[in-house]
Amino acid sequence: MGRDRTRDAALLLPGMAWLVVFFAVPLAIIFVVSLGTRDQYGGVILDTLGPRNYARALEPDFLPTVANSLRYATLTTVLTIVISYPIAYWISRYGGHHKLLLLVLVMLPFWTSWVIRTYAWMIILGDSGVLNGILGSLGVVDEPIMLLNTDLAVVLGMTYGFLPFAILPLYVSIDRLDPALVAAARDLYASGRAAFWHVTLPLTMPGIIAAAILTFIPAIGDFVTPDLLGGAQTMTIAKVIQMLFLSSRDWPFGAALGFLLIVVTVVATVGTLRILRREVIG
Amino acid sequence: MNRNHRDGSSNVGEDELARLLAARRLSRRELLHRAAILGAGLTLAPIAAACTAGASPTPVPATPTPAPATTAPTGAATAPPTPVPSPTPVPTPEAELNVYNWDYYIGENTVSSFQDKYGIKVTYDRFPDYETMTAKISTGNSGFDVTFPTGLDVPGFLARGLVQPLDLSLIPNKVNLGADWQNPAYDPGNAHSMPYMWWTTGFAYDTEKITDDLTSWAALWDERWKKKMAMLDDYRETFAVALMRLGYSVNTTSDAELDEALALLQKQNPLLRMYTSDDVGELKAGNVWLSHAWSGSAYAASQDRPSLRYVIPTEGGVRGSDTMVVLANAPHPIAAHLFINHMLDAEVSAANTNYIGYMGPNEAAKAFIDPSILANPTVNPDKAAIDRLVEEVDLGADLEKYSSRFVTLKSGA
Repeated sequence: MGRDRTRDAALLLPGMAWLVVFFAVPLAIIFVVSLGTRDQYGGVILDTLGPRNYARALEPDFLPTVANSLRYATLTTVLTIVISYPIAYWISRYGGHHKLLLLVLVMLPFWTSWVIRTYAWMIILGDSGVLNGILGSLGVVDEPIMLLNTDLAVVLGMTYGFLPFAILPLYVSIDRLDPALVAAARDLYASGRAAFWHVTLPLTMPGIIAAAILTFIPAIGDFVTPDLLGGAQTMTIAKVIQMLFLSSRDWPFGAALGFLLIVVTVVATVGTLRILRREVIG
Repeated sequence: MNRNHRDGSSNVGEDELARLLAARRLSRRELLHRAAILGAGLTLAPIAAACTAGASPTPVPATPTPAPATTAPTGAATAPPTPVPSPTPVPTPEAELNVYNWDYYIGENTVSSFQDKYGIKVTYDRFPDYETMTAKISTGNSGFDVTFPTGLDVPGFLARGLVQPLDLSLIPNKVNLGADWQNPAYDPGNAHSMPYMWWTTGFAYDTEKITDDLTSWAALWDERWKKKMAMLDDYRETFAVALMRLGYSVNTTSDAELDEALALLQKQNPLLRMYTSDDVGELKAGNVWLSHAWSGSAYAASQDRPSLRYVIPTEGGVRGSDTMVVLANAPHPIAAHLFINHMLDAEVSAANTNYIGYMGPNEAAKAFIDPSILANPTVNPDKAAIDRLVEEVDLGADLEKYSSRFVTLKSGA
């Protein structure tokens, strides 16, 4: 018995070590840096630790960017799930022998760098880009319409990028659903629509939650898409953090904002999970 | 190529070459933006720097070394001042050298001609953006010997102990520098840095889209080009524009003046399409018609799109420079000095300018620079324009006044 317990604990070791080295330690470093001050050339001074950077972070200056980030991440999450659910459903139900191939196709974009794919969107959405070219030659528009550097471009770019992350958990959850349950609902005179709403959707809710989390968290931390597809008015909190680290070289303040973002994200995720577990599963 | 230079046959062959190269010539600024994105993940990776240093090729067997300091610059025949051969014995250079420079920011054969001349094996590494370079160098043990900070940052590098004093006796080609560059304000007497190239900041616009003759910074506040304009994503440069419009110094540390500048930039924000580091890329793509721009990238872009025009506005523009320094912990300091001396050779310097389209501070090099580059006002502005240029200086702790206001500006608060 005692030996078993030791062995079980030993099995945990690699995972725990990984978590400590690559999560807990960096997080602790971020926290300590966030309590420090910067020297005039961007170094970090840890002599007098204090919460001053947190006080600064809570000033209303950053509310518009936080609001922007939340708006983009929420829109992206909703759009991603609305688009990926039917795709995952179709692959699971009608994929037949080609399921594996279809899933590989979903992941195919990962073979190309994320930045390069975002650049492709810049070419598609630019004023003299592909889309404006098509619209122009069809006579739909006279002057190029501004698509790039807008809110729309940012949400589009993120939705495109995170779609595979949502499709995979949705697929797993839909595929595991016993078709006999849906058949039973139909036998009991549920319409196709009613069977979906009352059987399929609730039973695949864990997949939807997983997909939402896997989309929302990277979306709120994404600075590449807002940077490349956004414009002068699409600032996000992740971009502010990037600016503080790279161009302002104010690591302590950047670390404070980053730490707050992590805390808020974790609290929001855990909270959402708890509520949903109670409502949906429990 | 090198031989051609020495023969002085810099006419037909070189013009053709320049034309061929123009197609491939890319400004480093153009790369900056996309690279910044990729580089962001790397900034915390001194490991990468360590790898670079560790990956140096095996030492070349010490070739019989020509006494370097007594090697007169090859351009000396035509250059007015002749360097005096150093009488002191010259230390033997190391067999290797690690150089860290911007991408696309050196002549095509500069490194190979140095290797051939001294038998020193050069590991030439490129940084994609300035932040990556400063992050790597700041570790203090990057393994690099020579890198290229801006003149603006030399005092900061010095204050942080990142660079070592230069042994000027190993850099006789210093005499080739123009009078302006013999004693720059950022580094009196060039004690720690040698100037490499300089550029200006003004604005560029597409004359096919905007037919007005734009001469003032006020153009970047013109409602007619709403959402067709961009400012540089650089807080010193962007605030410099507002400060110049207001008639204040670009180096002001007055909170009141900076608040006024911020208010002016906040008025401009809704008219802008973006803050960008890829100024001319956006102009070429047609997303903006008018952009705050660096001369070097504007020149590169005008090769592809002749309708682009670069202006140093009437209110003034900014002049900046890049320097060459020997890092404090350079493993190969003698070779580093020889490399810097090589870069200041009149013909080498001219070859660099001819390839990258930036003017150097090298007076003696002018005889070898492509006449079309010398005649190009974007790269080589006339006296009247140069007189309008101001230089940014290191502000130390007050820099934060600019960077924090820039965050406020971009946050739309």
